[in-house]
Amino acid sequence: MIKTIDLGKTVQTSEGQLTILKGIDIEIKKSEAVAIVGASGSGKTTLLSLIAGLDTPSQGQIFLADQELTAMDEEQRAKARGEFVGFVFQAFQLLDSLTAIENVMLPAELKGDPEAESKAKELLVRVGLDHRMHHYPRQLSGGEQQRVALARAFASSAKILFADEPTGNLDTKTGATIIDLLFELNREFGTTLVLVTHDLRLAERCDRSILIDSGVITAEPIQAKASALIES
Amino acid sequence: MRLGLALKLLWRDWRSGELTLLLVSLLIAVGTVTTITLFVDRLQQALLAESATFLAADRVISSNQPIDPQILTEARTRGLGQAETLTFLSMVFSSERAQFAAVKAVSDTYPLRGELITSDKPFEFGEIVTSGPPPGEIWLESRLLPSLDVQPGDVLDLGVTSFVVSKALIKEPDKGGGFSNTGPRVLMNLSDVPLTEVVQPGSRLTYRYLFSGEKQALDDFQAWVEPRLDENVRMFGVKEGTEGIGNALDRAERFLLLGGLLGVILAGVAIALSAQRYSLRHYDHVAILKTLGATPNGIDGLFITIFVLLGLIGTLLGSGVGYMAQIGISAALQPFIPVELPAPGMRPIWLGLTTGFVCLLSFALPPLLKLRSTEPIRVIRRDIEVGTGSNRLAQLIGVVGTIGLMWWYSEDIELTLMIFSGGLVALLVLSGLAFILLKSGRVLGMQAGSVWRLALAGMQRRGQENTMQILVFGLAIMLLLILFLVRTSLIENWQAQIPVDAPNHFAMNISPEDVEPIRNLLVENDIRSQPLYPMISGRISKVNGEVAKEREERETQTDDQEERGPRATSNRNLTYAGEIPDDNLITSGEWWAADYVGPALVSLEKDLAARNGLKVGDALEFTIQGRQLDAKVSSIRSVAWDNMQPNFYIIFSPAALEDYPSTFMTSFHLERENKIFLNGLLREFPTMTVIEVDAIIEQIKTIITQVTMAIELVLGLILISGALVLLASIQASMDERFKQHAILRTLGAGRRLVMGSLVIEFCVLGLFAGVLAAIGAEITVYGLEEQIFELDYEPNPMLWLLGPVIGAVLIGLIGTIATLKVVRTPPTIVLRGLN
Ligand SMILES: Nc1ncnc2c1ncn2[C@@H]1O[C@H](COP(=O)(O)OP(=O)(O)OP(=O)(O)O)[C@@H](O)[C@H]1O
Ligand SMILES: [Mg+2]
Repeated sequence: MIKTIDLGKTVQTSEGQLTILKGIDIEIKKSEAVAIVGASGSGKTTLLSLIAGLDTPSQGQIFLADQELTAMDEEQRAKARGEFVGFVFQAFQLLDSLTAIENVMLPAELKGDPEAESKAKELLVRVGLDHRMHHYPRQLSGGEQQRVALARAFASSAKILFADEPTGNLDTKTGATIIDLLFELNREFGTTLVLVTHDLRLAERCDRSILIDSGVITAEPIQAKASALIES
Repeated sequence: MRLGLALKLLWRDWRSGELTLLLVSLLIAVGTVTTITLFVDRLQQALLAESATFLAADRVISSNQPIDPQILTEARTRGLGQAETLTFLSMVFSSERAQFAAVKAVSDTYPLRGELITSDKPFEFGEIVTSGPPPGEIWLESRLLPSLDVQPGDVLDLGVTSFVVSKALIKEPDKGGGFSNTGPRVLMNLSDVPLTEVVQPGSRLTYRYLFSGEKQALDDFQAWVEPRLDENVRMFGVKEGTEGIGNALDRAERFLLLGGLLGVILAGVAIALSAQRYSLRHYDHVAILKTLGATPNGIDGLFITIFVLLGLIGTLLGSGVGYMAQIGISAALQPFIPVELPAPGMRPIWLGLTTGFVCLLSFALPPLLKLRSTEPIRVIRRDIEVGTGSNRLAQLIGVVGTIGLMWWYSEDIELTLMIFSGGLVALLVLSGLAFILLKSGRVLGMQAGSVWRLALAGMQRRGQENTMQILVFGLAIMLLLILFLVRTSLIENWQAQIPVDAPNHFAMNISPEDVEPIRNLLVENDIRSQPLYPMISGRISKVNGEVAKEREERETQTDDQEERGPRATSNRNLTYAGEIPDDNLITSGEWWAADYVGPALVSLEKDLAARNGLKVGDALEFTIQGRQLDAKVSSIRSVAWDNMQPNFYIIFSPAALEDYPSTFMTSFHLERENKIFLNGLLREFPTMTVIEVDAIIEQIKTIITQVTMAIELVLGLILISGALVLLASIQASMDERFKQHAILRTLGAGRRLVMGSLVIEFCVLGLFAGVLAAIGAEITVYGLEEQIFELDYEPNPMLWLLGPVIGAVLIGLIGTIATLKVVRTPPTIVLRGLN
């Protein structure tokens, strides 16, 4: 589903060239749940935004759902994102001028789906926000906003879900609820999940983890114990 | 589908309050432009209509022969109003006396514009009438009644017919029709003319054909007529008809245009600012939309649709608002406007609509197009710069849009380019200066107390935005200052043009032996007059030995046809004088000493010299009364032709022409109530001619009062719209300030500190803006006055005080009012974005 070959990213800063990522080769299969872990500043977010097509690499290739992302222009990448990809961000990233339901409807509306509204309603019910549908993001708590974001991520019937520290702005308990919901929905929809986190316990709930240190992959521990742990 | 989504987003944006500011500034912009242009349009129409009364018509054909009757038939089929007048000189006889008079015979429809004032007693205001005397009756100018010793009701002979003098004529609208009106007026009915038998072949006659109607119809008619007229017959309107009035009207029109133009720019700035703010606030939205799969083209389509919809709503509502506002303003000002305002035309409405649209698209499109290049990565990294890919295109759109709009509005490419390039240069210089000023602000701030440090740090932090804001404030203040300065010098110039006691009568054909007695008579009667100038007819026959006619042909071949000026070889009135006449300025060479004796010298008027390539030092030969006279050019002069005084192209040094027989002329000032003095004067010196220009001066004064009023009104309107723009631009900068101060307050900063720093920040911004505005205004006013208004530029020291003070006070005040909300709003609400 996702494959990178010798992926690298360097940026120009005032103190000269800075290499953020180097020689990244990863492969993620369909319906797999993968955690990207590492210390702060190690390059996790950068990697995620590259494979999600939000940013362009300085070198290497990226394949997403059998299509080469690195050979596309922004127009095509945007289409690909709309078609295959859903996002959940640490900072929620809801449009604050839209109500909860309108935020969830947005991906479908962009595709011109006439059933946008009924689908959005279903999803909001699914994340337990049916009574807050017409509230604006600023009237919702952080946890509620993230649930709206989750509903939106699944509204586009994406094949791959990218989540960048989705619990980073939430307290432990709320965070746990969100994570439960995320894994539940993920299993229901059969999505491939790429989850950036520095929470090792959260990483353990995934099928496997990719460990990044200063921009390079140091280990890729295989964890087969997955589902049993999640159940308990 | 696209449209549906755009509508949805638009509606959602509106509901959440995102669009309010943009829509409001669009409304204000379109509203003010519509208001101003509508108002200006009506005022202009009114002025033209009012000044048309000076011709008694909208257009006139003047000829010394009857014109082709087909022209009159054509005018009738085109539905134009028509009248005819015929003027000639004739003697009128009472039982005792006789008097030479300027007779005007008028058709029943005369006057087409304006009115006549008649009275039963001479010199007294009587009643207003709208047509001339019926057949069999004549009306006499007041001073004719005593000089012929008749009363209304008496009978006079004109030619072979007798007429009843039924009224004294106090005022006729087209009295000031040039200098050909010598002698007091007798008004009669046109149908009586054949009975008098005074009009014979060879009589000197002036036929005037008057037309009135809609401007378009008249223009069409004029285009049709002109090729059919004899070479020396012309059709003209009020502007060409009377030099002084045309000039005043032209300048006033240009001023009104300038005012409207500046209004358009202000509107554009307001829209640009709110569009910029809208776009800024939407970068994040677009980034999110992009992560959700919106393509760059999709984004363009979406936002362009949104803006077009917005433009439609804003401009339609705005022009409605403008229309209403203009009705209100006209109604409120009606008591102060001396003329009736005609109904507004449709053009201003279109102008308002288009302005709104073009402003929105050309000013809002640039930031809008930037939206497309927003990187989706922005959802993760807020600091990512928004791409500059389409920047150049965007700027091009802005530039083309602005120029196009200004051009269309002013229909004057020169004015447009001048204001535009002036603005551009000012902008470049100003942005550099603004940056330096901000920088120096930091140094100052370092040594200052905490409120000041906070304020200056605040400005510093948002350096670029503040530079922008200073520019916008500066631009707005600059435009207002420009308008104010141009208005002031226009009005001063007009008032100087016709001083209260300017001469309003010319006396000519004075024989040398009458010079002394007339001078004494004038002094005895306490009448202010100019010196008596000798007047001798003559022409230049040779220039530096070459025959002048041949030289002229050679010169004109190389000369630009456009640049018509007075010819040197025509017969001219020559004079000689020891002192240089009033309002004449030497541009090269030197004026001779008052008691100069020696070889003949001449001083030439500068247009005459320029047209004929004459310069100081040239040797001229004059032919005067069949004799030759050599003279050397010793100076070139500029002449104030509109100062209503005897003016000459060519002046000789004293004594040079003393051997030649000459008549003398002068000019003097006579109050309306002293006009009877003319009777005595003319009785005593029957050979002299007096030309009365008091009527035309009165008309010019009236027009100037009216255009001055119009200018003041428009200045007021623009001032208000300028203040609105400032308000909008401060509003646009409030988001950032809200947030910053909410954070400060959570950190424990008191209200006084927050408020104080905001007030200082705005005052300092205003001060900087004021300084820049003063610089920009001085430069632009220089260009405008020299190039467009043809006034003599003078520096304006007051400006350097006025600009900064206005800036600091105005911006400080508006800013403080706007910031009151900042300190009143609880910080949590700001931080949660709930306000
Ligand atoms: N555009 C950029 N310009 C300069 N430096 C950058 C840029 N993007 C990323 N970096 C740097 O690259 C490094 C990796 O950043 P990244 O955001 O990927 O880290 P991260 O692993 O997600 O960290 P965290 O766990 O704190 O979110 C950081 O040191 C960051 O400062
Ligand atoms: Mg990160």
